Amino acid sequence: MSNTASLRPEPVASEHIPLKARNVAFDWADTPLHWIPGDPATTHTINVLHLLLPAGERWFVHVYKQVLPYVRDARLREDVIGFIGQEAMHSQAHDGVLPHLRAQGLDPTPYTAQVDWFFEKLLGDRTLPPGRARKWWLLERVALIAAIEHYTAFLGDWVLNAGALDARGADPTMLDLLRWHGAEEVEHRSVAFDLFVHLDGGYRRRVRTWATAFTALVFLWQRGIRFFMENDPTLIDGKASFREFLRAGRQGVLPTAGAMTRSIPQYLSRTYHPSRYGSTAQAAAYLAGSPAATAAESRTPGGA
Amino acid sequence: MPRTPRIRKAPTARTARAVRTVAVAAAAALVARRALRHRIKASPLWPMPALETPVSGKGRDAQVTTTSRQLTVAERTEEAAGVVRLRLAGDGLPDWEPGAHIDLVLPSGAIRQYSLCGDPATPGSYTIATRLIEDGRGGSREVHERLHEGTAVEVRGPRNRFRLDECHAYVFLAGGIGITPILPMVRRAEREGVPWRLLYAGRSRASMPFLEEIEKLAAPGADRVTVVAEDEDGRPDLAALLAGAPPYAAVYCCGPEPLMDAVAALLPDAPEGLTLHTERFAPAAAPSPAPAADNVPFEVELHRTGRTVTVPAGTSILRAIRDQALPDLPYSCEQGFCGTCQQRVLAGEVAHRDELLTDAERDDSLLICVSRARDGGRLVLDL
Repeated sequence: MSNTASLRPEPVASEHIPLKARNVAFDWADTPLHWIPGDPATTHTINVLHLLLPAGERWFVHVYKQVLPYVRDARLREDVIGFIGQEAMHSQAHDGVLPHLRAQGLDPTPYTAQVDWFFEKLLGDRTLPPGRARKWWLLERVALIAAIEHYTAFLGDWVLNAGALDARGADPTMLDLLRWHGAEEVEHRSVAFDLFVHLDGGYRRRVRTWATAFTALVFLWQRGIRFFMENDPTLIDGKASFREFLRAGRQGVLPTAGAMTRSIPQYLSRTYHPSRYGSTAQAAAYLAGSPAATAAESRTPGGA
Repeated sequence: MPRTPRIRKAPTARTARAVRTVAVAAAAALVARRALRHRIKASPLWPMPALETPVSGKGRDAQVTTTSRQLTVAERTEEAAGVVRLRLAGDGLPDWEPGAHIDLVLPSGAIRQYSLCGDPATPGSYTIATRLIEDGRGGSREVHERLHEGTAVEVRGPRNRFRLDECHAYVFLAGGIGITPILPMVRRAEREGVPWRLLYAGRSRASMPFLEEIEKLAAPGADRVTVVAEDEDGRPDLAALLAGAPPYAAVYCCGPEPLMDAVAALLPDAPEGLTLHTERFAPAAAPSPAPAADNVPFEVELHRTGRTVTVPAGTSILRAIRDQALPDLPYSCEQGFCGTCQQRVLAGEVAHRDELLTDAERDDSLLICVSRARDGGRLVLDL
C-alpha cells in the first residue's frame, strides 16, 4: 500500500491560496518597441507571449466553462472559477499590448489570426456526437491545458526571479504585466493539474498531451520569433537564431536551455504535483506590491 | 553451377537497389527541404490557415475608458458667444486622432462626452469647447459655471467613434458646436494635402466658434470654405454643396439632428459613391454608477431552459439563476470585468453596469453578474 501511495502526486497543502481575478489595466504609451534596451531578439522572444496568450487563454476559459458541470469537489470548483477569471484577465491584458505594437509599425495580425484559427477551430468544439466522443475531446483538452500550465507556471516562476531583466533596464510597465501574470500563474499553478487528475488523470494521456503541447509550443514560439524579427521595422536584416536564445539564457534575460530541459522529466514523473515547484508566498508578495495589482485593488468596490 | 550466380547476383542486386533507394530518398529530402525553406522564406507564416475574422489584437475600447485621469483646467477662454473653450492639462495623456472624444466627469458626478478640438500633435493637454444649452440636461451649465482655471476634473478616454478614414477627397459639414470634431479633421486634411471643402453653418457669426481659424485655413483657395450664418445668409444650400462634391469622396457631418437628416436625405441624388459619416451631439448617455432606484426586482426568462427566474433587489441575475435554475452557470469575478458570465439577450432593455463590453456587444449581450433590467422590466436570455 505504501509503495503505491508514494507513486501518486502529493500536493503541498501550504501552497494553496484562494484565487481571485484582478481588474488590471496597463498604459503602454511610454513603452518602447524594444522594451529590453538594445536586445530586440530577447524582447521579441518574450513578445511572442502577446501573440499566443490572448487566443490561448481565451480558449482555456472556453474549455473550463464546459468542464464546470463535471467538477464534483467544492474546493476544486472554487479554484476553477477563480482560475477562469484570472485567465480571462491575462488574455485581455496581453491583447491590450497588440494595438501598441501595431502603432509602432509591427502589425501582429497576420500571426494572431493564425493563432486564433489554431485555438478557435483546430482546438475548438468539434462537431462530435454527444456522449463518449465529446467527453473524450473535452478530457483531451483539459489534459492539454494541464500540460501548458506546467510551462506557464515554469515561466511565471522564472520571471519573478529574473533580476537580470531589471538590471538591463527593461520597461517597468511590461515587467509589471509579465510579473503580475507570472505571479497569478504561480498562484493557480495546481488548478489545471488537479482538475485533470480529478476528471481523468491517466498517465498515458498525460504523456500524450504533454508531447502534443510541447511540440505545438516550440513550433508556435519559433514561428513567432521569426515573424517578429523579420517584420520589425527598425531591424534591417532581423533574423531569429538559436544562438541568440542560448546567449540570452546565459545572461539571465530568458530561461536557460538547461532549466527548460529539466522541466520535462518533472512533468512526466508519476509523482509530479505543481505545488512542489515555485513559491506561492513569493507570488503573493509580488502581487501585494505590483503597481497594476494594487491599482486594481483600489478600483474594486469593497475589494479584499 | 546454376546456383552460384544466383547467390552472387542476389546480394549485389539488392545492395544496388538499396543504394538507389537511399539516394532517391536523400535527393527527395534535399529537394523537399530546399522547397520548404524557399517557401517559408517567401512567406514565414506558411502553412497555417488564419481565422477569417481575427478575434485577437483589437484591444478593448471599453478598457481604455476605465482608465481615468485627473486633469487640471489650464486655460479657459470665451471662444464665441455662449461657447467656452477649455484646455485640460495633465501628464502622460494618450495620443488621439481627429474625431475622438473624452468622457468628462463633472463635479456633480454626471458624465458628458466632448469632442477634442485641439491639435493632436500637442502633447500634455486636451482641448474641448462647450456651448451653454439653456434647457439641456445641465452638463453644459456645469461646465460653464463650475470649471475655472485651476479646477481639477476627471477625464476618461479618449475614444473614437468618428474616425477620419483615408480618402482622396473630403467634404465636411458642421453645424454650430458640431465644428469641434470637424476642426482637427480639416487641419489633418490640409496638412496631408488631401482636397477638402467645408460648409460651416450657425445661427450668427458671433455664436460660431473657431471662425477665425477656419477662415485662415480657407485663404489659399477661397471657395473651399462656405460659412453660412443664418441671421445674414439664411439656410445653407446643402444640395449645392453635395452636388459639387467629387465622386467617392468621404462626407463627415456633425451638427444638430435636422442638419444630419437633411444630408442623409440628399445623398441619393449626390455624385456617385459618397460615403457619409456622422456624429450626433448627444450620444446615448454613458453608463453611470448604479443609481439606487435601479435596484428593483425583475423577472428573467430563460428561453432555452423554459423557466422564469425572479431577481430580487440587491441580488445579481447570476446569483438568482444559479440559485433557482442553473447551478453550473460559469462566472468568475462577479464585478463586471472578466467577461466569463456574458450571455445573449433575446428581448428586453438592459441597464449595463460592466466595464468590459463594447457598444456593439452591448446591443445583444450582457454580463449577468452586474447588469440588470432597465426600470424593473423583463429580460429574455438565451439560456
